[in-house]
Amino acid sequence: MSGTPTVWLVARREIDERLRSRLIRVMTAITVVLVVAVIVAPSLFHKPAKPEGIGLVGPSAQALGPALQRAAGAAGVRVRLVGLDGAPAARARLRQKTIVVALTVSAGRATALVRTDLDGTSRALLQAVVGEAHLRAALAASGLTPAQTARVLAPTPLAVVALNPAPPDQTAHSLAAVIAGLLLYMSIAMYGQAVAQGVAQEKTSRTAEVLLAIVRPSRLLAGKVLGIGFVGFVQIGVTVGAGLVANALVKRAEIPSTAWVLLPMVLLWFLLGFALYAFACAAAGALVARQEEIGFVTMPILMVLVASFLLMYVAIATPNAWWLTVVSFVPPMAPVLMPVRIALTHVPLWQIALSAALTAGAAALVALTAARIYSFALVRGGAKLSWGEALRLSRS
Amino acid sequence: MSADRAAAPVLRVARLRHNFGDRPAVDGVEFTVAGGEIVGLVGRNGAGKTTTMRAVMGILQPQEGEITWRGHPVGFDDRLRFGYMPEERGLYPQMKVLPQLAYFARLCGLDRATAERRAGELLGRLDLAARAQDQTIALSHGNQQRVQLAVAMVHDPDLFVLDEPFAGLDPSVVDELSTILRTEADGGHAILFSSHQLDLVERLCDRIVVLEHGRVLAAGTLDELRARLPRRLRVKVDAPPGWERSLAGVHAEDDDGEGVLLDLDAGTDAQDVLAAARAAGPVEQFGYERGHLVDVYRELVRR
Repeated sequence: MSGTPTVWLVARREIDERLRSRLIRVMTAITVVLVVAVIVAPSLFHKPAKPEGIGLVGPSAQALGPALQRAAGAAGVRVRLVGLDGAPAARARLRQKTIVVALTVSAGRATALVRTDLDGTSRALLQAVVGEAHLRAALAASGLTPAQTARVLAPTPLAVVALNPAPPDQTAHSLAAVIAGLLLYMSIAMYGQAVAQGVAQEKTSRTAEVLLAIVRPSRLLAGKVLGIGFVGFVQIGVTVGAGLVANALVKRAEIPSTAWVLLPMVLLWFLLGFALYAFACAAAGALVARQEEIGFVTMPILMVLVASFLLMYVAIATPNAWWLTVVSFVPPMAPVLMPVRIALTHVPLWQIALSAALTAGAAALVALTAARIYSFALVRGGAKLSWGEALRLSRS
Repeated sequence: MSADRAAAPVLRVARLRHNFGDRPAVDGVEFTVAGGEIVGLVGRNGAGKTTTMRAVMGILQPQEGEITWRGHPVGFDDRLRFGYMPEERGLYPQMKVLPQLAYFARLCGLDRATAERRAGELLGRLDLAARAQDQTIALSHGNQQRVQLAVAMVHDPDLFVLDEPFAGLDPSVVDELSTILRTEADGGHAILFSSHQLDLVERLCDRIVVLEHGRVLAAGTLDELRARLPRRLRVKVDAPPGWERSLAGVHAEDDDGEGVLLDLDAGTDAQDVLAAARAAGPVEQFGYERGHLVDVYRELVRR
């Protein structure tokens, strides 16, 4: 046989059929907008503070520029230095409000010219820099080499130890968790249902009868799951990609560090979760006698997914609860709750790896059982099978 | 098609047995199909036709029996050279006609170009070329049936397994599709075919297998089956009815106004009947009745 591998042919047909559907495009657009909005929105509301303009009048003040930048950086303040050549220019700039202070330094004294008053931070900053310059001059006068001076003046690192550290911005993390959880829940449920529907359609239209004469059931099943999974992966991939681009463009996003890790994690957990649920849904689709019964047979499966989605809200309230750690290892729950934990708190890498391995293992086991039920039930006529019957009959 | 496909039996079904629960669906079914031959499976609903065909196609694993193709048990790769049309139709409703045909052809191992070329040619032959890019569901029942037949034919199979291929079609379409099947058989393809429509089977099939309650009641050419009927005379005599009653070994079946139908026992001489008729009155008509498949079937089922 010179033909293309069967699994690929089957997968390809699924991909073609689904990419033609408008629903997929609309869904993708919605999720992209959702994710980008969550990343961009905080930066729209939270305008970064404008750097304070500081005028440096004359060469001796301007010589303090580098020291001023250093000190501002250490204090976490952004400053913009403006070189000025005299008092009139300084006054003009102050009136235009392009600077908040104009610094003049002459032998032994420094003047900060302001409009009305100088805030505490700027005052401390200027004081420190002027003091340091004075000290540097004094040390040089007493015979120290510049290198010795630098050693004396090297700042001592200041470690801040908090008794009650303020939590990192929990709102942003919660939002990230909700989006990740929602995205995973929605896409696993949607594409899982798509598998069930595809299988049920082939069964009820009797296409399965024609197919199974020429395609082994395991390959038909694998092709279907691969094809639909690929479409899902592309949809999530587009969403995640848009999220990463948005994240890179928004410089002061609230969740930048989380997003870089979380978005790829969403992609990984979609694959794991889809694999786990899709095979179970395929078996479910093979049980029905009529298309309308799909909701009924997939319900027990999707209930577990819904439960994990609902637990997400509890998880947000108590991100470090022991039970959450436990359920994030339970395969049917992990695809939603592990990424939610990753969004909410620091999760050790070994936990992520272990949970992923458990889910992958569970998916393989489910796939084996599902394939048996699927091949048995797909060409069986008659009324809808219950899960119990299907399991029992597929074994005999 | 090559001549080597003709004549010798290619498909052999032996001792096929399968129960659904306690009910035997097929119970020791045996028959063969040769290249170039159309074999008709006839029988009422539940006689075992569909079960037999599904077993041949590997969709059902029979509990007992052997199905061989050219001497070896039918394997998966052999079935890629079979073309199947199930009793209940199975097409992707949303898929366009030509891509659908090409898809099934490729599943049978054809490369893309060949699959598309064959699909296009076949649609022309089946008078569906204009509908190639229509969704299958948009086609009429008869046209969907043609597409289903095309799916069974698209990979140029060695064996066709067609379960009630003409059910619900109007006579002109039946004639048209019958001609196509005949052409395929003449090309050396083996065709296994089932139908309720006994007149159609009589016209189309080279050999007939009559199934009843999962068993083969009779099998053979139409003439061979006819030989199983009692010899039947039609005699029209201008005489009061009942003239034949005194004859031994003769059973009057019916008097339809065109004469009385007389079934003769094995030892009875037709000349004795003629003599008795002439004694009764002027004989207007005297001759053997040529039985139809439906008569054979009724007779077989009645026993």
